Amino acid sequence: MNKNKIIFSILIIGILCFFISYKMYNRPHANITESTPDITLTADTIIDAFSSDETKANSRYLDKILNITGTVSELKLEKNKGIITLKTNQDFGSVLCHLSESASQNIHSLIVGQKITLKGVCTGYLMDVILVNAEITNE
Amino acid sequence: MKSTYLLLICFLLSYNMQSQEQYLTKNGAITFFSSTIIEDIKAENNQVLSIIDASKSKMAISILIKSFLFKKALMQEHFNENYLESDKFPKATFKGDILNFNNVSSLDAKYDVQGIITIHGVSKEIVVPTIFKRNGDTILVKGEFDLLLEDFDIKIPRLVLKKIAKEINVTFEFNHKPYNR
Repeated sequence: MNKNKIIFSILIIGILCFFISYKMYNRPHANITESTPDITLTADTIIDAFSSDETKANSRYLDKILNITGTVSELKLEKNKGIITLKTNQDFGSVLCHLSESASQNIHSLIVGQKITLKGVCTGYLMDVILVNAEITNE
Repeated sequence: MKSTYLLLICFLLSYNMQSQEQYLTKNGAITFFSSTIIEDIKAENNQVLSIIDASKSKMAISILIKSFLFKKALMQEHFNENYLESDKFPKATFKGDILNFNNVSSLDAKYDVQGIITIHGVSKEIVVPTIFKRNGDTILVKGEFDLLLEDFDIKIPRLVLKKIAKEINVTFEFNHKPYNR
């Protein structure tokens, strides 16, 4: 009797472990729409930070969910993925926001020159600061 | 890393003064595959910066490691934190020459691109057969090649060794537009 109980509980624990590890393995990406941004700032602030000290800006902003406000200077749709360029006070370098799949469908309602706030994950700085999986948080 | 970027800017600026034959894209695509019996892994990066100077037959590419997006969040985490160490090495770069390059026509033409690729802080010379094609005023560049993880000092723990291929297949497609500052 006792033996059966032990075997049974080991089995339960085994199944539980398997289930938990399976869940962890297939864990989805953080939901940008629902998560609160880590940092809220303007396009000018972030381009200044990256162009003056990239290493410092990397440690501060990389992988963070950012809420960036700026003026739209270019809108384009490539391979069904929306890309919004935000104007900055520098003539070399802007903020490039690659929209999520769902947000890409709303890109047609935007116009060049309007003020906009986008929420996305910062992946770094090439010629521009790059934001991926971005959502439009206000129009 | 910072200096390579500065070099890239210098490259851009200096070349711009001399000629108009520059082409650039800020949203080039690089995809890589790792294929094993147990699992196929794929990651995509659509924010690749690539510059061609047609008059000098040169090409420069800059890639943010964190821009590679995976289907599984855990894989993306391991890729960044353990394998590529993207906090320490946030960028991968390529700089090289397009060999025997002449005018790009509207037909597919194959050129070898030879240069130095830097990933995970390790540089290596590679030659990649690449297709160049003119489409109106744009230049489309695409191709594929394989990379060995051990060449770039990327260590995979024994536990997941069977899930990750030793050789990674990389495909790229850059649609360059004329660049005038």
